[in-house]
Amino acid sequence: MEDLGVTRSSVHGAILIDRNKKGDRIRAPRTARPLACWNLARLRIPFEELGGGIQLTNMPQRWRSSLVLVGHGSTLNPDSSAPTFQHADEIVRRGIFGEVYCSFWKEEPSLREVLRMVESNDVYIVPNFISEGYFTQIVIPRELELEGPLTHRAGKVIKYCEPVGNDPRMVDLLFHRAREVAPNVPPDKTSLLIVGHGTNLNEKSAEAAQSQARAIRKKGVYAEVSEAYMEEPPFIADWAKNTSQPNVIVVPFFIADGLHSYQDIPVLLGMESAPTVAASQQEVFRRNPYHLGGRALYYASAIGTEPLMADVILDTIDRFDRKHLYDSAA
Amino acid sequence: MIKDELARLIKEGYNALGELEFAESTSGYLLYHWSNRNSLAETRIYRSVEDARQIARYDSRGAYRPLKGAPNLPNGWVIEVATIDELKKALDFFYPGAIGTWLGYHAGTVQPVCLRQTLNRQTGMYRVTRRLTDEQARNLVKDACRSDGRCLRTILWGIEDSQPPDFLPSSKCDPSVDQTGQNRAALPFLCLEACNLLVAAARTRMKESSS
Repeated sequence: MEDLGVTRSSVHGAILIDRNKKGDRIRAPRTARPLACWNLARLRIPFEELGGGIQLTNMPQRWRSSLVLVGHGSTLNPDSSAPTFQHADEIVRRGIFGEVYCSFWKEEPSLREVLRMVESNDVYIVPNFISEGYFTQIVIPRELELEGPLTHRAGKVIKYCEPVGNDPRMVDLLFHRAREVAPNVPPDKTSLLIVGHGTNLNEKSAEAAQSQARAIRKKGVYAEVSEAYMEEPPFIADWAKNTSQPNVIVVPFFIADGLHSYQDIPVLLGMESAPTVAASQQEVFRRNPYHLGGRALYYASAIGTEPLMADVILDTIDRFDRKHLYDSAA
Repeated sequence: MIKDELARLIKEGYNALGELEFAESTSGYLLYHWSNRNSLAETRIYRSVEDARQIARYDSRGAYRPLKGAPNLPNGWVIEVATIDELKKALDFFYPGAIGTWLGYHAGTVQPVCLRQTLNRQTGMYRVTRRLTDEQARNLVKDACRSDGRCLRTILWGIEDSQPPDFLPSSKCDPSVDQTGQNRAALPFLCLEACNLLVAAARTRMKESSS
């Protein structure tokens, strides 16, 4: 094995970069390197410290593995699955996996048929979902007949990863998106509102947005950081009374610009009087800011459409291997 | 490997799947809608596998196609690919999993799942479909899955376990029948289990009958 001279291995936050003894950034060659060695030899630099520039996750080749990215999809809205395809295409472009597939609850290939397409015996399943919840805990395991994080079936090892929304880097992505949508507003006069779905089907749905809001609040950048939901309190429709600053930035903590972020939430916020046409036919983000009740409201695209989500997906796989490396080798 | 099996099937003479037809060319493979088989020179040429996904996404009027088996694929295009691997990927964008499903069924590694089993495992908003009666189920499938206008897949599952789908026309359950009516050497395009669209239609039927 080639000696890469990688020495630093501290873990801080978001971006993964290898460094040699002098501290220079190096790129690992795309040859097989033992996974454990690779994991120990990576340095994470917080996204914020990189000035918002896009840094790609440096991942070893996994030509003997396949990736199945699972999305919700829609039978009504063609934009729903677009981010899942977008991130899959980016991962294909990087040439890491032998095979990359998308699969959906509401589109084809379905969860019932996607594994028939997969040829390799080492399969990573990554839910492109924003939080743990009904789909990640009940629907996906049931439809794929999974037995837990690791399922051994018909000569295959199926590795069920956490949803992408669990990744620690999501906080940085939210910051990035908020700054992008309202670059010139003073943070000390701004409320940042993270909006999620929330559901009585699973309490973890709201927890994801709560924990993101908590993490951002701790950084003390914005005067106020709150969360709001479609189906449980605090409700999105009450945003005006639940925020106090003259500027309000709303970032949907959703995977796609689907019916919720393009049609339902703009109505709840008062930006639109009634649900309008599909995402790809609207210019909802180009009209920022919306002046409502004496406040300036900036509405962002769903966080899951952020191009850096491809790196979040790779991080999710990396985290799975760190947690289950010895189990999967057994 | 699925692509190797596909190459073998093409050598054996198979040249169609659903509304698609394919042929070997001097530079690889051509993939097109059956209605363009005699007018390929007049079609728009695509050379990227990913174009298949976009073509399969909308019908000729620009309406979204959530059901890939629906017989409303637009025509007027041809995709040129260099390798059997690319052809396999393009076919999977048009008809996801169709080849893998056929090969798995042929090899005996995957089996049909009856409708009752599919409905009985539903939860959340689809739990109500467990109450669909056999008669409601038969009528629903006959309408929602018919080949003339709804879905070109060949149904191999029945309502209850071990029951054949004998309430459907025999041609709809015979993998050797080309559901487009073209009588081509078509690869079987199988349905081994009710899809989410049918489950959603079952939910609508239950809601209608309870109101």
